[in-house]
Amino acid sequence: MKRWVLAMLRLSVFMAAGAGWLAAPARADGDARASIVDRLCTRETEARIAAVDELLAGVARKEIAADWGAAIIGAAGDASLKCGEGGVRVIAKSGRFRDPLTLADVSESSAKLAAPFVNLRVRAAYEMAGGLLLLITAPASPLAAKAADDLQKHAGIANLDALQMAVEAQPSPDLAGRLQAIAAFRALRHPDLERRIAAIGKLADDPTERNRTALLDLQGDKTAAGDPKVAAALAASIASIDRWLQFSRLMATVYSGLSYASILFMAALGLAVIFGLMGVINLAQGELIMVGAYTTYLVQEAIRAAAPGILDLYLLIAIPIAFCVTALVGVLMEITVIRHLYRRPLMTLLATWAISLLLINLVRVFFGTQNLEFVTPAFLSGGERIVGDFIVTYNRLFAIVFALGILIAALIILRRTKLGLFIRAVTENRDMAGCVGVSARRVDVLSFGIGSGLAGLAGLALSPIYTVNPNMGTNFIVDAFMIVVLGGVGSLIGTLIASVNIGMINVIIEPAYGAVAAKVIVLLLIIIFIQFRPEGLFAPKGRR
Amino acid sequence: MNRRKFLKATAALGGALAMPSLIKSAQAADSVKLGCLFSSSGTMANIEGRLSAVVKMAADELNAKGGVLGKKVDVLVTDPASDWPLYAQLGRQLLQQEKAAALFGCWTSVSRKSVLPVVEQSNGLLFYPLHFEGEENSKNVVYMNSPPASSVLPALEYLMSKDGGEAKRFYMLGSDYVWPRTINKICKGFWKSKGFAETAWKEEYVPFGFSNFQTIVNNIRKFAAEPGGQPIIVLTVVGSSIPDFFKEIINQGIKATDIPVLGLDVLEADLEGLDTAPMVGHLNCWAYLQNVEAPANAAFKTNWANYVTKNSLPYKKDTIIDPMVSAYDGVHMWALACEKAKSTEVDAVRAAFDGVSFDCPSGYKISMSGENNYVKRGVFIGSVNDQQAFDILWKSEDTPKPVPFSPYA
Repeated sequence: MKRWVLAMLRLSVFMAAGAGWLAAPARADGDARASIVDRLCTRETEARIAAVDELLAGVARKEIAADWGAAIIGAAGDASLKCGEGGVRVIAKSGRFRDPLTLADVSESSAKLAAPFVNLRVRAAYEMAGGLLLLITAPASPLAAKAADDLQKHAGIANLDALQMAVEAQPSPDLAGRLQAIAAFRALRHPDLERRIAAIGKLADDPTERNRTALLDLQGDKTAAGDPKVAAALAASIASIDRWLQFSRLMATVYSGLSYASILFMAALGLAVIFGLMGVINLAQGELIMVGAYTTYLVQEAIRAAAPGILDLYLLIAIPIAFCVTALVGVLMEITVIRHLYRRPLMTLLATWAISLLLINLVRVFFGTQNLEFVTPAFLSGGERIVGDFIVTYNRLFAIVFALGILIAALIILRRTKLGLFIRAVTENRDMAGCVGVSARRVDVLSFGIGSGLAGLAGLALSPIYTVNPNMGTNFIVDAFMIVVLGGVGSLIGTLIASVNIGMINVIIEPAYGAVAAKVIVLLLIIIFIQFRPEGLFAPKGRR
Repeated sequence: MNRRKFLKATAALGGALAMPSLIKSAQAADSVKLGCLFSSSGTMANIEGRLSAVVKMAADELNAKGGVLGKKVDVLVTDPASDWPLYAQLGRQLLQQEKAAALFGCWTSVSRKSVLPVVEQSNGLLFYPLHFEGEENSKNVVYMNSPPASSVLPALEYLMSKDGGEAKRFYMLGSDYVWPRTINKICKGFWKSKGFAETAWKEEYVPFGFSNFQTIVNNIRKFAAEPGGQPIIVLTVVGSSIPDFFKEIINQGIKATDIPVLGLDVLEADLEGLDTAPMVGHLNCWAYLQNVEAPANAAFKTNWANYVTKNSLPYKKDTIIDPMVSAYDGVHMWALACEKAKSTEVDAVRAAFDGVSFDCPSGYKISMSGENNYVKRGVFIGSVNDQQAFDILWKSEDTPKPVPFSPYA
């Protein structure tokens, strides 16, 4: 029914435009522009959607300039197309005023102007048109792939003539194929059998859940899928999509598991050094993560003030700073409080808890309780669809790579440097290490500093994923202890294996039983495991 | 000083320090006390903390006009630390020891449910500023905000209409406690009455403070691609889970035009740390939105900005959220009722509620009737814009009559 109405609308628009073209070819574009802008300025949903369709049809017939179309759709979409009484229309954006018909600069209008509210249906039409026009005007632009992805979501309302034009303009065969798949989505019920079968085959090239749904829908439609050739093509396509979807689901699960593991691992790594190697129950570990995140924020603000040009790189610039600042906080904690309590572990527990409260409240006083706003660098925003419905999100990829990086750095320090040798010596036998001339006190300070610095780096890497506020640290402390105890106190590799296991188990359980149950089941599994192997997965050999 | 003496002295000092830190009060000779139960620490701290400041600001306004019945209004601030039993304990202390004339407090329904027996037992008065699941009508609680019948259901109806995208399938994602579960129960009843089958919806709950939404968003995308029509997300997660959820759906490329999110607890303050350009079009529904054009709203905004600057509070000057306005309305409506009753006694004040009305910053004249303890409020549906705020998509004609008990539950 809806399709019929749209078709009728399109037909009438076509006829009207055709008549106009016959009458006054020179003025056709100008008239069409005015009529489109007038209708984009109304509050009527249907009128605006019809105007968008007419615009695209005009572009496809090369009667309306695609550049102008892209500009006007963009302005309507971000509410910079302002409309007032008596036909006053202006595009007002960041202090610049332009005439919507010619896009020439004009002086500021004194009329009372407002942008018509864009509801979800109109917004979908604008996004569809914006994507198509971008693909037509700048087919080789780096944004083209994203535009094609967005367009796929609006396949049901895409203007087919303009889509055909975009396919022809597309230089990249991969993207052109994706655009053809969008066109195929609409040709599934084409009266011509051959085209229908071709469309069915085309959809199988892009194995998404959405395409599978469309094919299943067609399979249920006896009149459209009655022909044995069509039925066979459908069965083959659905089987192929199913195979790919299974693969993509597996990939997505593995990726989610790895990404969760990398978060757990980063939260736990600092603690693995402090609790694992030194035996200090540091309840302020989560707050050290928070200090790292806040340092990153300060670096971002400093760069924004001093050199806004390199703002996108703030996360990388902040790496050494976050490490040093948090390490310094850790060293101060060690020197002032923890050093005096090495022989009284229960006291450290209370003292570090007090420090954690102190840090939370200091941050609250100086920064306030609100969530901090981080600029998401371009290389960390969004994601890439790899196969089927499997999306690699860049912020999580960053976390995984970063976690691997700090694991390697920590291993090198512990295994390949003199300091690492000392730390291991003090861990294995404190008194004996002292006897052979290792200054145990200094090693304590340094390893506490390294453990804290690692927590600071975790805060940096988590800032693009999680919300940063004074309470963020408390969410990590339980997970961190869980991982360290499970992995085996004092073993970095154990920490790594434990986080990968917990991450994987979690993402496998979660879809089936829900997030609440997943948390409970994982904790139960850990309790059972610890019953049988209290020393954790990897117990360091040696005297403790 | 020997060790024992030292210990005694520290214990006494510690005790003395701890007592007033729990309840900060300014003693005045002839004053009436209002108590606040809003957390300034824990998972709710970011949004709940500022409500205490609003109550103080409203009390200052009353005092500037000579107080209530000639008495100065004192505000006692507590910090229940997002710990639900602590709300009850502090509430009891405020009512029984401090003899507070009224309490203003609670955000989550679980905290309200924990204070409820306390106010009923001591015959106190709790002004509750959040929109919530309804299904409750205690004579000791004044429900300042809307029950689902006048907020959630109109928003769902809009999303199911042609202009709202004709939603046919619903993914309910909430924090695991009484508010999301009851709201979802009401929603399900509502959809059943509209003829939807049970396969049209899916329900999922996460623990408080949950932040790893990757798997869940993957599932949502899968759900959305299945047959049956336009899907929407009914989001009832609270606190710091809200921005984390939005970060994840932005990164996985979900836009409002493919799967709109109706965020029932999403406020301007939750958008503070986010780049809202990729989430334009997601929806919420409240009895106040910051972008309302009304003289009372302009005045309220200026007053709040001045109040924040004057007291150097750690909140953004230009972010105002519905529960702030509701708490503010609560203080003024309590004062109006007191003036009408010529008393601050709970029973007298309650009897005076019938017919009390106030010019709310939302632009509506809000009022109470003798029928129940609910305040009649106007309702808005908001749509996220790229300025970290909400555009007004729809507003109710008038103030709909509150229906505490939903027929759908």
